[in-house]
Amino acid sequence: MTTQKDFIGDISTALGRPTPAAVDLFTVAPTTAEQDILKNIRQRSPGERQPFIKTLQEVSVPLHLDFHPERSLEDIRQAIITLILEKDPEWGTKKSVVRWDHPLLNSLNLEAAAELKDISLYTTSPVAATLSAEERQQQRQQTRKEVEESFIGITSADYCIAATATLAMKTRPGQARSVSLVPSIHLAVVEESKLLATLEELYTLLKWDEAEQAEGLTNNLSLVSGPSKTGDIELVMVHGAHGPRELHLFLVADRS
Amino acid sequence: MSTIAPEKYKENASKGIADPVLQKALGGLQDRLGPATEKLYNSQPEGHDMRPRAHQFRRKAIDNLDVLLSTLADKVRGHGGIVHFAKTAEEAVEICKKIALENDVKTVVKGKSMVTEEVGLNLALEKEGIEVYETDLGEYILQLSGEGPTHIVAPAIHKTRREIAELFTEKLGTPYTEDPPTLTRYARKALREKFLKADMGISGCNLACAETGHIVTVSNEGNIRMSTTLPKIHVAFMGMERIVANLEEQQSILRLMSMGAAAQEIGGYVSYVGGPAQADHSDGPQEFHLIIIDNGRSKILADPEFREMLCCIRCGACLNVCPVYGKIGGQAYGSPYCGPVGAVVTPLLFGINTSADLCAGETLCGACKQACPLEINLPRMLLALRSKLSDGDPDWQVQPKSKGENLLFSGWQRLNNNRKIYDTLLDLMRMLQHLLPAKQGMITRLPWPFSGWTANRNMKKLAPKTFMQQWKETKEKKDS
Amino acid sequence: MNKPEKVTLFIQCLVDTVFPETGAAMVTVLERLGLKLDCPSNQTCCGQPAFNAGHQREARAAAVKFLDIFEDAEVIVCPSGSCVNMVRNHYLELFADDPKMLVRAQAVSMKIYEFTEFLVDVLGVESVGARFPHKVTYHASCHLNRFLGVDRQPRTLLAHIDDMTLIEMKDADTCCGFGGTFAVKYSEISGAVLEEKVQNIVDSGAEVVTGCDMGCLMNIQGMLSRKNIPIEVKHIAQLLAEK
Ligand code: SF4
Repeated sequence: MTTQKDFIGDISTALGRPTPAAVDLFTVAPTTAEQDILKNIRQRSPGERQPFIKTLQEVSVPLHLDFHPERSLEDIRQAIITLILEKDPEWGTKKSVVRWDHPLLNSLNLEAAAELKDISLYTTSPVAATLSAEERQQQRQQTRKEVEESFIGITSADYCIAATATLAMKTRPGQARSVSLVPSIHLAVVEESKLLATLEELYTLLKWDEAEQAEGLTNNLSLVSGPSKTGDIELVMVHGAHGPRELHLFLVADRS
Repeated sequence: MSTIAPEKYKENASKGIADPVLQKALGGLQDRLGPATEKLYNSQPEGHDMRPRAHQFRRKAIDNLDVLLSTLADKVRGHGGIVHFAKTAEEAVEICKKIALENDVKTVVKGKSMVTEEVGLNLALEKEGIEVYETDLGEYILQLSGEGPTHIVAPAIHKTRREIAELFTEKLGTPYTEDPPTLTRYARKALREKFLKADMGISGCNLACAETGHIVTVSNEGNIRMSTTLPKIHVAFMGMERIVANLEEQQSILRLMSMGAAAQEIGGYVSYVGGPAQADHSDGPQEFHLIIIDNGRSKILADPEFREMLCCIRCGACLNVCPVYGKIGGQAYGSPYCGPVGAVVTPLLFGINTSADLCAGETLCGACKQACPLEINLPRMLLALRSKLSDGDPDWQVQPKSKGENLLFSGWQRLNNNRKIYDTLLDLMRMLQHLLPAKQGMITRLPWPFSGWTANRNMKKLAPKTFMQQWKETKEKKDS
Repeated sequence: MNKPEKVTLFIQCLVDTVFPETGAAMVTVLERLGLKLDCPSNQTCCGQPAFNAGHQREARAAAVKFLDIFEDAEVIVCPSGSCVNMVRNHYLELFADDPKMLVRAQAVSMKIYEFTEFLVDVLGVESVGARFPHKVTYHASCHLNRFLGVDRQPRTLLAHIDDMTLIEMKDADTCCGFGGTFAVKYSEISGAVLEEKVQNIVDSGAEVVTGCDMGCLMNIQGMLSRKNIPIEVKHIAQLLAEK
């Protein structure tokens, strides 16, 4: 078996080392342009974010992303309840819904909705470190079962990028990545303050923002732009290849 | 499934040209994607600098590949992943097989990955009794029909909805329909079962980020996310060149890749995978293996003429504008890598002599370079390959391709060097050309070695006097 | 550059041997503009066919001969984009490892121009006072357009020809399938590419197809003739010489 040393050694030989490596490989400080981007994002007022909403609306259309007009938590809650009631499950008849364990989603308090009393509402809870390996495994299997069973998955997102209608979602305890993937319909509820203009802004934050740096990208970061799609049969665009067929986005207005 | 047979280029090209369905598909694809990609390039806020800069980013990564790969490996290990290095195709396959056997893997779901095609992974796993499913819809269709890909990004565009309908009815037992959404739903259902039961997911890697220690996969269907989220083991195959140093550089390259591949601002799903699920996470694979593969790449790296080729991100944009690819289709190239990119990469990976026709069979029109998100100079490298084929090159184990052609060109050179002999030969040809069949001053059949020309077009006869003669005569008239 | 004292003509071998009328038309246009011309009569091919087929040694020999003949010229003008690309760009690659020759190649590289490029960029001419009352479509040759970046120039000149209707064909800048020896060695592929080009020309409804490179135009003419399609092929110099 080839060792890392041999493998890399061959590459160094091919590169004609010992010429030194480039110094600016891993950038260590933001450029002035990047500093400006960071400053811009941090000082942005809710008013300055309003044009992004319009952009988001426009780019959602060709992406087949359902961008909903509701802004208040109460209206969004109602709209989600309506969606759950109106939409049909793809793989069976039982209606189950799974969601992240996330403060914003917890505050929707869907579990209290009388209209949903016949519907199973699951939450992907963190796996407690105190559990034994076996218990952890059991909990994961339970989550997996619930995700598979659910026809709607509800998540939030770390950021939402207006120019490309992209949701950026890190994986954390309680925020299972399969919730935005396996159910046929993905609902995302995002705070307006998480709106960014462009992917460049997102990457600048991921790279230079202190909190982001401290957390890292996590072991799984997904950028999702619209529902799943394919053009593999005669280039005819079909939505719902393997991932969600529908993606619904709700923006929660700033309370400030 | 693709077998490596670039030596059949001409033969397979003929088949492609004669296939009206393929012609229509290729025409439609090029009409749609080529201009749309160009439009996107021109509308980016970074302006025309974006592509040359991205080229520099890639070039810098390639020039520092040892540092970047070491960093990536360390970081991935730090995230709990296992990193393997494979010098050869066989070794890569062995590593994956071992992981599969040790974990008693029965079913594998694969996200689209060209490098696994390159190393011949599927066959090796199937020999062990493991079921392997391609999950990209196009790849899945080809797996069912047992064909090679027509396009890097849209592998099954040569199949009509009718053929796919028949295929699905036969192989999946689904009711016959020619409706693409319904057909897609059939595949969705069939593959969902596989995703849910698979115990290993295999992906490629579009572009790793060294500083964060993540591989990145891009898809629109979501199949790669499924393959890398649901099974308990995720194995990622990565050609050793598919890496970039830092996030900001990756950002621009991923966008350019999406523009090149599908005329999108960004692919539908871009996933960063750094390692297996952490202990307190409720889903994701329990093991993450990254197999970094050389398989001939360090040889390309060592040759300054071809190092640039390692910048390629396999987006397929060059296919969408190539006039030759647009007529012959991807299967003609006899390799998982087709089109202009394949014409350079296939010889370098699988042998220059066996791929001689791939090197010579293009017009050098430069459309590929113009369309490439990284402005990779494919025509320059085709010329370099051709030069190796005419002279031979021990470093690359190239034998001179054709003594006959070499003789012809050295004869041509002697002629070209001396205007007197040149003119004498022209006089002779002018006489002889009257013996050739002609219509209205146009020769309809030329002898060897020019006969190919008149297979499908005529040729104007040599003029009674060359321009040089005419020039001299007018000048003499003027002077007298 | 100011108006040169004397222009040295580099006549593409195809123009020299098969299409001398193209060279004559270029002479007419340049002389009308009051330029003094010179044409070294011992010139032959610039080496492009050998170079493109991978025969660098032979191409280099042709390049040496070319430099010998042309390096004293004040300015060199050629009615073919791909030949200019060969001299301007590829000669530098051929002599990359030969500093002495490289200097000579660089000097020539700086003073060679494609015909329309010379008219528009060097002389600043947009109209030569030509008149051509026909429907014309323009094929943008690959090497001219992509490697020399010359596209606006011929189009400007065409736009200023009186009474002429310029019709844009579909995919005007797509290759015609010529590619030098490619057309002979891979005749079937070449023919398939050409077929589409010819179809686009026919669909444009033009009576004449024009361009800046007789290589491509000869290829196009070959198939038009084979298919008995009565569309004429003319080099842009021929249109510009019409009154
Ligand atoms: S050569 Fe350029 S256009 Fe072609 S696949 Fe590679 S990166 Fe894409």
